[in-house]
Amino acid sequence: MAIRTIEVCERIMERNDAVARRVRARLAADDVTAFNLVSSPGSGKTALLERTLAAVGPALRAAVITGDVQTHNDADRLARHTESLVQAVITGGACHLDASQIEAGLDALDLERVGLLFIENVGNLVCPAGWDLGEAAKIVLFSVTEGEDKPLKYPKMFRNARYAILTKIDLLPHLDFDVTLAVANAHAVNPGLRFFRTSAKTGEGLEAWYEFLAEQVRPMAVW
Amino acid sequence: MHELSLALEVCRLAGEAGARQGGGTIRAVGVEVGDDAGIEVANFRFCLEALLAEPPFYEARADLVPARGDVLRLLYVEIDDGHPDD
Repeated sequence: MAIRTIEVCERIMERNDAVARRVRARLAADDVTAFNLVSSPGSGKTALLERTLAAVGPALRAAVITGDVQTHNDADRLARHTESLVQAVITGGACHLDASQIEAGLDALDLERVGLLFIENVGNLVCPAGWDLGEAAKIVLFSVTEGEDKPLKYPKMFRNARYAILTKIDLLPHLDFDVTLAVANAHAVNPGLRFFRTSAKTGEGLEAWYEFLAEQVRPMAVW
Repeated sequence: MHELSLALEVCRLAGEAGARQGGGTIRAVGVEVGDDAGIEVANFRFCLEALLAEPPFYEARADLVPARGDVLRLLYVEIDDGHPDD
């Protein structure tokens, strides 16, 4: 028999990345800014989105695609705080969302009426780091109950994110969490990471977050 | 947890590469795996070997080539074209 070696050199992620490029193009065509919210489970993604949607959702024409592993719980929580369409993606045990799920989600949205799209990824600081969903940027959340070394333990996620949100800062008086050290650890991994510090419970820090979001959304054209 | 889906994608790409060459039996696949690729290598190898043990691969070998960075590429496939050696 004759065994031949065929050189291939194809990226394994290319199929996902091709879909992500299509997603990015569709969002750009409708002037939609999409943020991919990533974090470990329980860091406060849904709570932050609840406050955000209630405060500025209508003004920024915000929509959400959320990825619970099981249940519609997050989507149901968000739907109570906004009239914006919430499209739930049930990943059925998968550890991340992929671009094809976002592309399917876009089909259920009227993108002409959307200015800002939040993608609430599956709670996981490992797998979602490597999957391009077509977003403008990844935003990594971590809470003050998680430890200052989170950025060092999960460097790829913090390296691939453009923004970070330190959540649950209302708990700081009850913890030994060193904010300066946590931010320094994150900047050691990604010096360009821009930080927000928020409490979805008290509202502390949310105004700066809202102002940032408003800067990301283009005004709707008036005819 | 996503190692199985990535292993499935390796098999899909390998099958396509084999078909482009006119078919034959795939005897081995070579995959470059970066140390920052987000892959648990032992898990990935287990998934890939399990898939390569079944048709249409017939016990094909999985060659995992370590690399730096987040690279994850199908480098090569070895194909038995079924023809006798020259």
